[in-house]
Order: sequence, then structure tokens, then C-alpha cells
Amino acid sequence: MARDSAITLQNFEEMLAWLDPDREVAAQQYLQLREGLANVFRWRGCSDPDGLVDEVFERVAKKVHEVRPNYQGDPRLYFRAVANNLVKENLKKAKNQVSLEDIDLPQPITTKSDEDEAADIEECLQSCLQSLNAGNRKLILDYYAKEKQAKIEHRSELAQQLNTSVQTLRVRVYRVRLSLQECIEQCIKRKGKYE
Amino acid sequence: MATSGVWPMKEQSITDASLREFLLGKLADEELELVENLYLTDSQTRERVLALEQDLIEDYLENSLSEEDKERFLARYADTDEQRRKLRITKSIKNWAVTEATTTQATAASKVSLWTRLRLKPIVVVPIAVAMALAVVLAIVWLNSRIEKKKHFAVEQELALLNSPTGVREFPPRMIPLELRPITVRGAETPPEINSRSENRIVELFLPWIPKERYPAYRAEVRPPGDGEPFTIPNLQAENDDGGYKIRIRLPSHSLRRGSYRIQLTGISNDGSASPPEEYRFSVTD
Repeated sequence: MARDSAITLQNFEEMLAWLDPDREVAAQQYLQLREGLANVFRWRGCSDPDGLVDEVFERVAKKVHEVRPNYQGDPRLYFRAVANNLVKENLKKAKNQVSLEDIDLPQPITTKSDEDEAADIEECLQSCLQSLNAGNRKLILDYYAKEKQAKIEHRSELAQQLNTSVQTLRVRVYRVRLSLQECIEQCIKRKGKYE
Repeated sequence: MATSGVWPMKEQSITDASLREFLLGKLADEELELVENLYLTDSQTRERVLALEQDLIEDYLENSLSEEDKERFLARYADTDEQRRKLRITKSIKNWAVTEATTTQATAASKVSLWTRLRLKPIVVVPIAVAMALAVVLAIVWLNSRIEKKKHFAVEQELALLNSPTGVREFPPRMIPLELRPITVRGAETPPEINSRSENRIVELFLPWIPKERYPAYRAEVRPPGDGEPFTIPNLQAENDDGGYKIRIRLPSHSLRRGSYRIQLTGISNDGSASPPEEYRFSVTD
């Protein structure tokens, strides 16, 4: 909560209670919503998604006391509506303020320190693959074994072999892939060079 | 601002193609709202979108995106260091899988062709077989040492994940608690035992911290039976509740071997200096 200092404890508690009466569930939903909104901002092409997420929570916290009693349905949709307004405001601002200096061009993907990081990723990948069980390791290997056009047919065959749809297979691989990615990121952070 | 969060659920009508457009910021307002609402409230859609995002990343890495999509992709997926690292990780996984698959195919093919040639010239077989056997033995010795190192590293990774601040907040099923006492207090008593054949997946150890000095962080060194290399778990936090001041560590059951384990727990000050260690013991039985 980088900018949550503007939120009073009472407002924050009420916002959590609105998300779910069970505090544990509410805390989980809060974290999931933060991550979800950050992705929404990113997909909308906004820079500083985390800062915008803070802004959403700040705005909702300020209004929660008056909105909550009359609001019907899933409160997360209210957060999304606030986020949507924020995107529009940002677009307006950007239209008025654009100059060449404001444009952030993506950095090139390969730099010297990137090469160091690539070597670390390689090492961490090998160790994290060991922590997957044999079935999941094989699943990842099979899923990513082919590239470009060949992969489409290959994945369709793989789904058939596993008696499932391509869509379900994709989600199944995503779950394994997520744990692998988290393991690799933790491993890289522990190496201490890129924090 | 809408004051109602009630809206029609139309998840089934959203195609993968629409979701892909969504991920590239190409959807019109109405459909965009529908997808975003579902993404934030429905766990199935959430996973579906994130899984499709992986496919999109793959397409970028394979250079299969159009120029316009590539530009949109870069603005969304390569803008920060963290995002670029995620791309590199995906690239690394893909490279590993493709190389591994190619090597497996090539090895299978070369086995067949070598066998065919050797059958034609039996006189050559003996010296080659001896040399190969020797090479295999050396390779096995070398591989074993590498595998042991990798296994150790993998267990340390798992320990770090299990004992990270996020990890210890979770309460996974099949976890058994066990309280140990420092050896100085326990004296000659038999250390507590853990049965390695139980169904438990994780052993949660509570280590009471007896010294009066408190530290911002603690480090545990878990020494397995025999001369095995110790595992280090850094950055542990103490908990102070009705049961006293304790440090909690979690060990995956599959990594435990039969025998006596020793744990050395050290308090780490802000300047990095370490306290004298407290020692704990437990044993693993069949």
C-alpha cells in the first residue's frame, strides 16, 4: 500500500468488510483485487499501474462509507468502475500534456546486465525444474516442445492424448508454469543482484 | 459512477480471439467492461485470461505478431524491468523445452543408427564397448555429484518458499506441528520423533527462543543426519503470543531422511552480526 497513508484505518477496515465479512477472505480478495487491477491498468496501456491501483483504493476508501449501504452486487465491480474513470482521466491528461520527453520507449531487451540475468535465469530454471514432479515437468516439456505453426497441431494432439480440450490444457499448463515462474523469480531474488 | 454491481454473466460468449484483443487493448468499451468485470470477479475467466497471456507472450517471442500487435505488446509487456524479466523467463522455458525435445529425438535416432553399424563390424565392438563402459561409469559419477548439488539447491528453494513471509501465512493441508526445545533446557531427554511414512506433507517446527535478546530476523541451519550438507533458511521472523517467543520453520516431509537432525538458530542484528546459536534436535523414524 504505497500511498495508503491517505486512507484512515477505519475506512480501510470498512473497505475490507465490504469485500467480505470474513476478514481472512477479505484480505485475500484485497490482494487479488490489487493484482487484478494492476493487470487491468497494464492491459489498458497505462504507465505506473501500481500507483494507479493505490489511487483506486484511496478513492474507494474515501467513499466507502456512503456508497456501501446502497450498493447492490459484487463490490469488486465498483472498484473496476473507479479504475475505469481513472484511466479516462489519465487519457485526458495525457492528451493535454504529451511531449517527446514524456514518451517512454520500451528498453531494448538485451543489455550487458541482462546477459548476466539470463545466465542466472538459466541456472534457476534448472533447479526449479527439479522441484516440479515428473508429471508436471513432462507436461511443460511437451507443451512447449514445438514452435510457431507446428505447436498448434502439437498442442491439439497433446490435449487429445490427455482427453481434454486445448483451452483446459492451456489453463493446466498455466498453473504449473506459474509455480515455475514464482520459483525462478524467488531464486533470482535470492541471488540478490536484481532487487 | 454506477451504484450497482449487478450485470449479466456472459463468460461463455467470450472467444479466445476476443480475449487476445483484450490483452492487446483492442476491445471496444462495452466488451471491454464485460471482460474486465469477469476477469476481476470470476476465477475461471481470470485463469483463462492469464493463460492466454502466456500464449501471446510466446507468439511475441516467436516473432509471430503483426507490427501493430508487436507495438501494442511491447507497451504492455516490456515496459518495466520486471516485465522484461518475465519475458526472459518464458523464453528460457521455451528454449529448454525445444532443446530437450530435439535432443531426445536425436538420441533415439542415433541409438538406432549406431546399433545398425556395430552389428555389421563385430571386431570393433569390444574395444568400443570397453571405452563406452568406462565413459558411462565416469559420467554416472559426475552426474551423481551434479544431481546431489541440484537436489540440495532444489530443497533450499522449496524451504525458502515455504518459509517466506507469504509462505508462512498460508496453511496448507497435511501439515503437522511439532514443538522442539533448545538442547540446553532439554538436557539428555530423547528428541521428538517424526514418522517419515506418515501422510503429512509439511512439518511445522516451533522453536522457542530462550535468550532475553530479541532480533529483527533469525537464521536457521538445518543439519541432516550423517555428513549431509546443511540447509540454510534466512530471514525468519519471531512470533510472540501466549505460547511465548518462538520462531516457526516449515520443512517438506519428502526431504527428510531417517536419522537425527540438528537445527542451529541464530539471531541476526540490523548490522548483520549473529548471536550465539541455540540448538534443537529431532529425529526421523521409519
